[in-house]
Amino acid sequence: MTDNSTTTTVAEAFGPGPAAHPPTTVATNTGVTPSPVQSPRSRMVERTIGILALVGTIATVWLGIWVTPPDKVQGDLVRLVYIHPGVAWVALYLAFGLAAVSSLLYLWPRTRSLFWDRLAAAAVEVGVVFNVCTLVSGSIWGRPTWGVWWAWDARLTSTAVLLVLFLGYLALRRVPAEPEVRARRSAFVALFAAVDIPIIHFSVNWWNTLHQGATVLNPNLSAKIHGSMAWTLLLGFVALTLVFVWMLLVRFRIGVLEDWLGANELDLALAERQSEGTGPLDGSAADRVGAA
Amino acid sequence: MRYVVAGYAFILIVLAVYAVQLVWRRRRLAQAVARVAGPVMAPVATDPAAGTVTEVAP
Repeated sequence: MTDNSTTTTVAEAFGPGPAAHPPTTVATNTGVTPSPVQSPRSRMVERTIGILALVGTIATVWLGIWVTPPDKVQGDLVRLVYIHPGVAWVALYLAFGLAAVSSLLYLWPRTRSLFWDRLAAAAVEVGVVFNVCTLVSGSIWGRPTWGVWWAWDARLTSTAVLLVLFLGYLALRRVPAEPEVRARRSAFVALFAAVDIPIIHFSVNWWNTLHQGATVLNPNLSAKIHGSMAWTLLLGFVALTLVFVWMLLVRFRIGVLEDWLGANELDLALAERQSEGTGPLDGSAADRVGAA
Repeated sequence: MRYVVAGYAFILIVLAVYAVQLVWRRRRLAQAVARVAGPVMAPVATDPAAGTVTEVAP
């Protein structure tokens, strides 16, 4: 299985994968694919997003802690609203949602490409980090408001279950297998885990929970936050989304480099043997390299 | 207020550490690719932006 050309336009922002990338080195007759060098344009896009993410995050923290007013009911604790829902949005909807869509596109025969598998893997890893942030910051917020660090509440429990499921996804990816086999089994697990996402979203409506309902995306779509508090909340969402996009780009790139090294390991070993002058590379030579 | 500071600090520290780890991993892998690809490939690279061929350092 190799990357097909249909993904190259999507891949532009990520920097194309090994097969889609323009040849940056001239390979000898070793069967080694060209090394996946990142294009200057892709590097510039990544750097711009990184700077915007950093500026947005600093602005959110400044506005959230020092500028916005305290709440009538929650007092200063309301300041956590500018960051906690933002990380939850990234983890639950963006990262794991993207992983589910990418996995579906990998399983769909017409769009099958290892590009989608790499994208799903990158999204899940970043999503797990954001999911941990969601659970811990929620717990820190829960202690002074609910009186406990943790409750087996529907929203909290389903979010913790999602973390465990995607940790399982990452563990499964580390099981040695051919890239296609790994991609297929990972895609099924991602789709299975993604069933939990709508459960988390609607848990506050389906069950009586300690967790409050949605502030903006509630069933009536009537925002319960206004003025500087609303703008800071929005900025927090944008900034954390940019942080996610930047991390996704870098993590995707890591996947491209890892796959290139994995795919060329044997070819490179054979080429090194050949260059050492150990004789023609017949079947027995290849066996010796494989056994080593 | 200490809960607010703790919440912000945890998120920002975790994200910063993960970001640094990502950059470090990518740099280490890029170096490994350059090291591995070097001996078996001719030291010539095309610049996709300029469309030119340039020498690259081994």
